[in-house]
Amino acid sequence: MKKVVVAATLAAALAVLATAAWGSTKGSSRVAAPANAGNALVKCGKTRSIGLMAPFTGPAASIGINQVHWANFYRNSYNRSHKTKIKFVNEDTMLGSANGTAEAVKGAQALGSNSSVLGVVGPAGSNEVKATTGALKGAGLGWVSGSATNTQITLDGTRTGFFFRTVPPDSSQSKSVSAYIVNNLKVKRVYIIDDQEAYSTGLADEVQAQLKAKGVTVGRDGVSQQQSDFSAIINKIPRNTQLVYLPWQLPPKGQAFGQQMKSLGRAGTKLMGSDGLFDPAFSGLGSNVYDSFFPLNPSDPRVAAFKKVHKATELFGAPSYVAAQVVTGAIDRACKNGTASRAEVRAQIKKTKIAASASLLGLAVAFDKHGDMVKKPFGIYHSVKGVFVRVA
Amino acid sequence: MNWSLFFGELVSGLTLGSIYALIALGYTMVYGILKLLNFAHGDVYMVGAFIGFFVLQWLGGALSPVVNGWIAVAIMFAVAMVGCGALGVGIERFAYRPLRNAPRIAPLISALGVSIFLQNSALLLWGPQFRSYDTFDLVGVKSYSIGNNFFISNIQILTISVSIGLTIVLALVVSRTRTGKAMRATSFDRDAAEMMGISIDRVISFTFFLGSALAAAGGVMFGLVFGQIFSLMGFTAGLKGFTAAVVGGIGSIPGAVLGGFLIGLTEAFATGYLPGGSVYANLYVFALLIVMFLIRPTGLLGSPVIQKV
Repeated sequence: MKKVVVAATLAAALAVLATAAWGSTKGSSRVAAPANAGNALVKCGKTRSIGLMAPFTGPAASIGINQVHWANFYRNSYNRSHKTKIKFVNEDTMLGSANGTAEAVKGAQALGSNSSVLGVVGPAGSNEVKATTGALKGAGLGWVSGSATNTQITLDGTRTGFFFRTVPPDSSQSKSVSAYIVNNLKVKRVYIIDDQEAYSTGLADEVQAQLKAKGVTVGRDGVSQQQSDFSAIINKIPRNTQLVYLPWQLPPKGQAFGQQMKSLGRAGTKLMGSDGLFDPAFSGLGSNVYDSFFPLNPSDPRVAAFKKVHKATELFGAPSYVAAQVVTGAIDRACKNGTASRAEVRAQIKKTKIAASASLLGLAVAFDKHGDMVKKPFGIYHSVKGVFVRVA
Repeated sequence: MNWSLFFGELVSGLTLGSIYALIALGYTMVYGILKLLNFAHGDVYMVGAFIGFFVLQWLGGALSPVVNGWIAVAIMFAVAMVGCGALGVGIERFAYRPLRNAPRIAPLISALGVSIFLQNSALLLWGPQFRSYDTFDLVGVKSYSIGNNFFISNIQILTISVSIGLTIVLALVVSRTRTGKAMRATSFDRDAAEMMGISIDRVISFTFFLGSALAAAGGVMFGLVFGQIFSLMGFTAGLKGFTAAVVGGIGSIPGAVLGGFLIGLTEAFATGYLPGGSVYANLYVFALLIVMFLIRPTGLLGSPVIQKV
């Protein structure tokens, strides 16, 4: 009898483990939207609601607030010039905090259950996009991010037709970065340190592969986003390393790393960040600092108008202006007959066409079948007197 | 053998270990007297870091302090240590003293509650954003080298020497002063000490003051060395300080220091030499704790508790 009980318990445990393993391979992102998700018609009214997901607080708040400022800048200029108005339903994702993407998921669920919300701007991080897919797709919402650049989140097919982005993917960023490192900086020894998040590891993998293919010696390591002491890993970087590449999301961490590099006698090593580090905290480290960043038309009058109200260095959030513009335009077109469903708004997002002359990015905004922009260049910037200046 | 890496990790480990040692000393002193694991101790360390930051702002900030940078650092240390000392006394008075005769689980739960209270108070008051000490602008960080393999910065030298200095001061207070004698007596037998006329309440308050002051010093050091402080930094540091105290032998002051340095060196050398070390450094640290419990449950310098039957 005892043997039977033990065998049954073992079999049950094995079944549970097998189910968990099968579930984990499928991944939480493989969520099929319910057949009628987002088909419910909503009366458009004079004020239309758009969800805004960003890290208002948390370790990434410095870039999150940039995005919020730009999105609000768009909202204010739209509301001034239109009879209909838009308002944001804000959800703080606390990107980079100790509880991971839990806040983003909660926010997505709240937006999904708010029937007045017709589309979403954000979230900021690629990990957050993955984590919130179930909730947003399940609610039939289309969402447009101004900063989630992991290449696979549009190519893996789990969000097609629901997720779009007004920022080029890492495949573009990695090409620009590796080309600049090899052709312009003429560096032969690079050390790449990722922060273990999806955005970071994906971009690091691509840059590493491209640099190796071009004959560069590449070392690779990782840190946790919660880490503050980088001295041990800095010691590991070979002394003849010419450039350290940090595809990180949190500018304070990038700043801390750079400062600790200096204090350990490595001030001469070049530092290059990714778009997540495009922040004065990182550029202020000195003239050996470089960064990659998505395109922006610096002579656009809206940039000048924004700089009058906010700090001139808050350019990270500019694609969120375009994301808000895309969602608002889609809602306007879907609401032409006075009612709209989330499915209609998604369809209109897909059909977005903003001419280059009207685009803040200096290039036309239209989406391909995956949800990426058709045109997707990335720029390289160099820190000059503490400010990033475009050099390629 | 890559000597540059070896010495680099050695210095990093000693620097980090110095901070853990200061936290561990608070844990071990309180446990020695009250047999209480003060889980709020890591958050007192966090509060100390923030007090240091706000003192720096009050002095004009890192870019243009009204006094010399090193004097500013000394003031930051002094104010943070006194402030957190007072905080520790307050925590003892209101959260632990009423439960002194309660079952052991009660003050332990109270300690967890104080920890959560401090964390969330910090989040509410100061927000979750990182604050930067901007040490480069404040004191001008310099790196010194011996040969091509040994590098150390002035801030690392400061951290290690201040930690050792504070430990020596603590050891002298405990071994050479009247109050220290009272602390030892209370730790040995609280009831007998009380019967001998020692004011237990004052001794315990003084112990909390000392332990919290040391944690505050650790917090300010962390800000100076690593540049960034934030509201949730106390949790992991507190866990590691507790680990250091246990590894060294809970209740033993030299053990706490030894444990702190051992934990710091484990992290640094794991990062430098073990696969995935930088990402899984915490795994190796807590694995060390488990191994220590298996091999020597009383810790490196702890002594077994003898119970008369």
